[in-house]
Amino acid sequence: MAVCIAVIAKENYPLYIRSVPIQNELKFHYTVHTSLDVVEEKISAVGKAMADQRELYLGLLYPTEDYKVYGCVTNSKVKFVIVADSSNTSLRDNEIRSMFRKLHNSFTDVMCNPFYNPGDTIQSKAFDSMVSAMMVQAS
Amino acid sequence: MAQCVQSVQELIQDSFVPKVAVLCSEDAQKITRKNNLNFSELLRPFCRLTSEGHMRDSNNQVQVVKNLRISVNNVVTRPSVPTSGVHSPAQRRLLSEVVSASQPAEGGVANVITAGDYDLNISDRSVKASVPWYSDWRDTLTELSTSKHYTATTPWFEAYRESFLQSMPASDHEFLNHYLACLLVVSSSEAVPVEQFLKLSQEQHMIQHNGEYTNPKWFIPNTLKYYVLLHDMSQGDEQRADSVYEDMKQRYGSQGCYLLKINSRTAAAGTDEQIPDPWSQYLNKSSLQNGVSVNSLDNTHPLQLETAIDMPGSLDCLRAVATETKTTTVYTGVAAGTSHGACLTLNDHNRLRLFIQEFTFRGLLPHIEKNIRQLNDQLVSRKGLSRSLFSVTKKLFGGGKVPEKSIAELKNTSGLLYHPEAPELQIRKMADLCFLVQHYELAYSCYHTAKKDFLSDQAMLYAAGALEMAAVSAFLQGGAQRPYPAHYMDTAIQTYRDVCKNKVLAERCALFSAEVLKSQAKYSDAATLLIKMTSEDSDLCSALLLEQAAHCFINMRNPMVRKFAFHMILAGHRFSKAGQKRHALRCYCQAMQVYKGKGWSLAEDHINFTIGRQSFTLRQPENAVLAFRHILTNDSQQTATQQGAFLREYLYVYRVALPQLPLPCINSSATRVYFGHERRLAEGEKQAATHVSLDQEFDQDLAAVWQDLEEQVVAAANRGVVPSTFYPTQCCLNSQTDNLHFPLAVVEEPIIVEVAFRNPLKVPLVLSDLSLLWKFTLKDFSRPQPQDVMVGDAVTITNEKEAIAPRKHGIITTEVIPEFFMSPEETRVARLKLLPRQTGQLTILGLVYNLASTPSTGDSTINSNSFSQNQGPSVRGRQDLEIQGPRLNQTKEEKTSVSHGPDRRLDPTITPPMPLLEVFFLQFPTALLCGEIRKAYVEFCNVSHVPLCGLRVASTHPDFFTFGSSSLATPLTPLSPTSFENCSAYKTLATPPGATPGSVTAVTLVSAADFGSGGGGVFGTGGKRVAEIPLGEGTLTPGESTQLPLWLRGPDQEGVHEINFLFYYEGAEKGGKIRWGDHRVLRHTVFICASRSLSVRATACRSNTLPEEEGRNGSMLVFVDVENINTSEAGVREFHIAQVSSSSKQWRLHKCINPAENKDCKLTTRERGKLCFRATRSTSKSLEKYTFADLSLGNEQIISSTTPCADFFFRRCQSSESWRPLIAVETQGRHSRSQGAGPGGGAEDITGVVRKCNEVDLDIIVLWKAFVVEDNKQVILEGQLHVALQTIGKEACSLRQKEEAQEMVLLKFKPELPPPMTRPSMEQLSHLIKTNLHYPESYSHSFVQKSLCMIPVILTLSNCSLAQVDAIIDLRHKTTSPESLEVHGSFTWLGKTQYKLQLRAQEVMRLPLRAGFLHAGVYNLGTPRVFAKLADQGAMCETSQQTATPALIIINST
Repeated sequence: MAVCIAVIAKENYPLYIRSVPIQNELKFHYTVHTSLDVVEEKISAVGKAMADQRELYLGLLYPTEDYKVYGCVTNSKVKFVIVADSSNTSLRDNEIRSMFRKLHNSFTDVMCNPFYNPGDTIQSKAFDSMVSAMMVQAS
Repeated sequence: MAQCVQSVQELIQDSFVPKVAVLCSEDAQKITRKNNLNFSELLRPFCRLTSEGHMRDSNNQVQVVKNLRISVNNVVTRPSVPTSGVHSPAQRRLLSEVVSASQPAEGGVANVITAGDYDLNISDRSVKASVPWYSDWRDTLTELSTSKHYTATTPWFEAYRESFLQSMPASDHEFLNHYLACLLVVSSSEAVPVEQFLKLSQEQHMIQHNGEYTNPKWFIPNTLKYYVLLHDMSQGDEQRADSVYEDMKQRYGSQGCYLLKINSRTAAAGTDEQIPDPWSQYLNKSSLQNGVSVNSLDNTHPLQLETAIDMPGSLDCLRAVATETKTTTVYTGVAAGTSHGACLTLNDHNRLRLFIQEFTFRGLLPHIEKNIRQLNDQLVSRKGLSRSLFSVTKKLFGGGKVPEKSIAELKNTSGLLYHPEAPELQIRKMADLCFLVQHYELAYSCYHTAKKDFLSDQAMLYAAGALEMAAVSAFLQGGAQRPYPAHYMDTAIQTYRDVCKNKVLAERCALFSAEVLKSQAKYSDAATLLIKMTSEDSDLCSALLLEQAAHCFINMRNPMVRKFAFHMILAGHRFSKAGQKRHALRCYCQAMQVYKGKGWSLAEDHINFTIGRQSFTLRQPENAVLAFRHILTNDSQQTATQQGAFLREYLYVYRVALPQLPLPCINSSATRVYFGHERRLAEGEKQAATHVSLDQEFDQDLAAVWQDLEEQVVAAANRGVVPSTFYPTQCCLNSQTDNLHFPLAVVEEPIIVEVAFRNPLKVPLVLSDLSLLWKFTLKDFSRPQPQDVMVGDAVTITNEKEAIAPRKHGIITTEVIPEFFMSPEETRVARLKLLPRQTGQLTILGLVYNLASTPSTGDSTINSNSFSQNQGPSVRGRQDLEIQGPRLNQTKEEKTSVSHGPDRRLDPTITPPMPLLEVFFLQFPTALLCGEIRKAYVEFCNVSHVPLCGLRVASTHPDFFTFGSSSLATPLTPLSPTSFENCSAYKTLATPPGATPGSVTAVTLVSAADFGSGGGGVFGTGGKRVAEIPLGEGTLTPGESTQLPLWLRGPDQEGVHEINFLFYYEGAEKGGKIRWGDHRVLRHTVFICASRSLSVRATACRSNTLPEEEGRNGSMLVFVDVENINTSEAGVREFHIAQVSSSSKQWRLHKCINPAENKDCKLTTRERGKLCFRATRSTSKSLEKYTFADLSLGNEQIISSTTPCADFFFRRCQSSESWRPLIAVETQGRHSRSQGAGPGGGAEDITGVVRKCNEVDLDIIVLWKAFVVEDNKQVILEGQLHVALQTIGKEACSLRQKEEAQEMVLLKFKPELPPPMTRPSMEQLSHLIKTNLHYPESYSHSFVQKSLCMIPVILTLSNCSLAQVDAIIDLRHKTTSPESLEVHGSFTWLGKTQYKLQLRAQEVMRLPLRAGFLHAGVYNLGTPRVFAKLADQGAMCETSQQTATPALIIINST
């Protein structure tokens, strides 16, 4: 399960960030922000022509001592970042993929809300609860 | 990236240079001391050789040595550096000084790197350029982007690296740092120099071979000894020196000795010749030895925001460090001031240079060459045997390739040490020699071989060293012969660090490796390597490495800006831990550029916070304040504790005089300004006029109503014309009012400014000593002055100075709010008062206050330290009120661009004193019955020092109240005693005793002008709602007050009525040129709850009786239906109809026809009564005068023609005219026309004429009394209701009929045709002539005697109209109605059956007729048909006139 889930806009500002250990929020912000570099690198690695067939899921962006950072980019260049605990070995690639898929679906729902102003931070309760379900339950 | 001045090759070359030791005799030292230098220092600037050297390698091939540098050092036997692989504290200190001394140069060329969407300014100016003002930063960037782009340099890193490499201790596993040669220096002034040489030589030998000293390490056992004879030109005997030198040549050979002549200049020779000082740059660093105690401040995680719990302490600490560094720099300055080489001429410099060259080429290089050859020979001879032996044994026992073994397995053998003369080391020695003389190819192969050997021996330290050097020499070979073996480096680093635990060597290795990788554009590898090298041991080193890594990230092909920023922050944190405040700040500022304004608010806050703290410790309070401001004004997502910490920190840092404060947020546009005193709403039983107050919400509609009223009253005051300068008075300004004009404030009257504060934080705020900040320009309005001149010479006063320490000001009294508390996230308004004492132009600039935070009580983390100061630090600052005016949207230009109009809310003009009125109401009711009359009192009070006059009042409900008419103020006598008892509002007369109620008619003639209140002329000009208030002398002197009676009448409509009064008054001396000197207004709003009382309906119909008086055909019956519709909630027991009065210009009530049995006409709940009256035309000839006729039904007569009653009647007329204006005007016009022009008008004329004859224009006033039980007491209420009868036969009601719903009007697409010429309808035409039959009601006739009974009947025809009418009377006509078809019922008219008559206007004509009856019975005589048409309307056919009521006659047969 994730310890931090972030949605980042096309212009690289955060639309939504949620992390579990609240006191370390700043650290996760830095982590997620820094991961954007890797995301960009991965996107640009795929050629322009291939951009359409590109898979959304980017895989493991980079590992740190304590965390693993996974990324995913939608076709509209909205980035999803999931930070998971390194010690959590049960988390396979497939689980991460399905988490991203869920995240993406939920994000799409948010975007479909006619009252949502694209570019605003996400405040949807449904989205929030979906994210909480994917997070590590803080004991 | 960190671009170095040197190339990588140069760097590595310079890092590994042949080292030469120096041994000096005492005297020689004395000579060099004259220059403030020792011998090695003296030589240092000349140690780089400018010419090429040549040497031959083992294969006798010539090798070119270019750009060689040698290192000359004094022999230090003290073991200064432990070889433990960690820096000693002294070394650390040195390094840190080196770094802190190397700061980015202020004003250097800024470097901008464009990376993706980011423009990064990684410049030396970064501290200045990246202060957290985005716009500024932007500007700097654009300005810079035009210039050439440079890559960033990090001189502090290079300085660090240089001194790091210099301080590398010599170790056993490598020989590069070992001394190759030794210079033996002896002065020529020595008695026996040769002996001295011998002594020194022995000393050297002893040092090298005695084994006592481990420290200076020597390369080769037989170290090259070079004998230098130092000769002081200024004092020594040159010839003796030459001879000694000759002697030496004999002894040591010409290549082993040198005569160096220096000090050609005496120290006292003066400083006329400017000699360059090449030493300073080499020596400054060492003079920095003075210790800086490096406080390791906080060992917190870099990404953790320090909560400010320990803040005061840590800040003090920071400050201490800051001061210390300052003293250090001062010291450096002093050290740089001392000059070196004072006794050396340029010639001496040349000699020194030549000496080094000579030594290198003649002594050193040949020595090296010789040694290489020797070593080579040794190796070659040994090779065959040892190699094969080793390899065989290894193959036998090892069973595998050794190098492939993982590092971990080799750990235990790391301690292995070879003997210095061990054969394994010889090859390494040779490699090092080759390396030093730039023979990299050979060096590489040697290193490679050595590496294999060491690895097979599992001597890991040696192996690592060999690996490192192999990699370096492979790199330095250049060309493409051999690819750079990066893995060698990695392995070496890993081995050094993990196996050998030698951090210093690992670091050195990493530095080289990173440089090499960078030069090959392998930035990501370099970054990884550098980051890997960071450790907890050395903050400084980690910081520098992280910074370099960050620079690597940004230099990648796809620049990784965010990684750059992140690592910059990490570096900044480590810098700050290492005490390098300026570097830390610089790092954070650079990182800030990436995070700035991208929505990563937590990170941004963190950086800003750190920048703020660092700036503060570096004595840059402005930057600190800016940074903190940024945190506090943002929409912070921080927690409450964090915000509290920020705030406290900010306040602590804050030390600038009266600066702009960021907190709390002010909603400027919500600022409201109120001019005038705060009003007391009630004073005892007096009720003050509500006027305007800040507590009221602004209502656009209401404002329009008030403005309309004011306009009317101003128009009334100015004889019906609204002056062009008129501008509605606004007492309370807000965002919705029209703020284009400068508002007016009167001197000595307060100005209250309401400011809306919002606390955006989750912590409470305390503002204290809150007051307004203003600017004031004195103007004297009493003297007329041209406007333009005044601006120039006016004195402007401001209270900004006083605001720091508030005190009373003579010109404007500024109210101070001592404390203003704001809970977390609260929005609160503060009301601040100013009292201007002189006239002029005031501008309210803003607010000044002390800002402090309160320690939240629930916060358990607060320690005793911060509690000692009960309230957190507070700071005095200001915040400006800048109100943006409304967006202009008038012209096209304004529509397309965004421009805003001015808002002058806060710029009041202080005018000379003006009168000030206060109005109080006494006995003012809140609830009334509809139509109820109540008497109240109103008190006008002039509270100013200026007389007041021209008091007027305008109201939305002018028929609600009256002040009475001044003309009839004298009471009529006698008053009935009861009127006093009941406190009746009416004037009453006792009814003459004995008179029948309802029969007494008192008639009074009254001119409308008397009750017009505003004079008759006002009525026509729309000033209907305005009434003048009858003051005693017309003016109110200062301080005077008058009480006036005020009569109120409950509105006709039930419900709650909002009634607005606008009192208008002006100063006594009118006509001043000042535009605002005109008038002032006072507003009052009352709410009256009206409940239902009576409903009166009245109809009029023609009386068919004969007119009593000749020539007057006016007689009418008026039926008045009175219904009690009160819903008894008010406790009304019953209503009595006290009196019915009429008022009309033409009619008057004559008498009551059916006086009720009981005297008063009582009506209990839901009861209904009917009253019938006869009305006659009044005899008055005056057209303008109204006739009031009172028909008292009780025992006292109310004089309806006097004040309250008649007043309300006329007011009612005025207001009703507004909703039936057409008829009134038309009637009047028609009237005059038909009189003037006479007959001959068009069709429309007819209409008027015809209508006229049906018009009544009679107003009935029903005066009632209601008996109300109130608190077990019976109270009599009085009231009056009006019914206006207009047309005969049409019912009129006291309640205004609801207008027909107009919503469902058909949509018309075609323009409506002008209505066709209105022809009078048949119905109207049928009222032209009134007919009456006069006959005896019963008649006895003896049909026996005479079968025909003839009865004379007189038909009276009266022309109701004012025109000539032709009438045809037809008697033949038989009624076709069924009831007249009785068999017997017929009678016949005798005589002429048709008459044609012409009736003049209002003529009454009698026509004698005879009717013949054959039988006795009851007959209806009303059969004559009358047709009429207007005489002049030939084309029109006659219309049948309405027949009168059945005229029955009884014929009795006798």
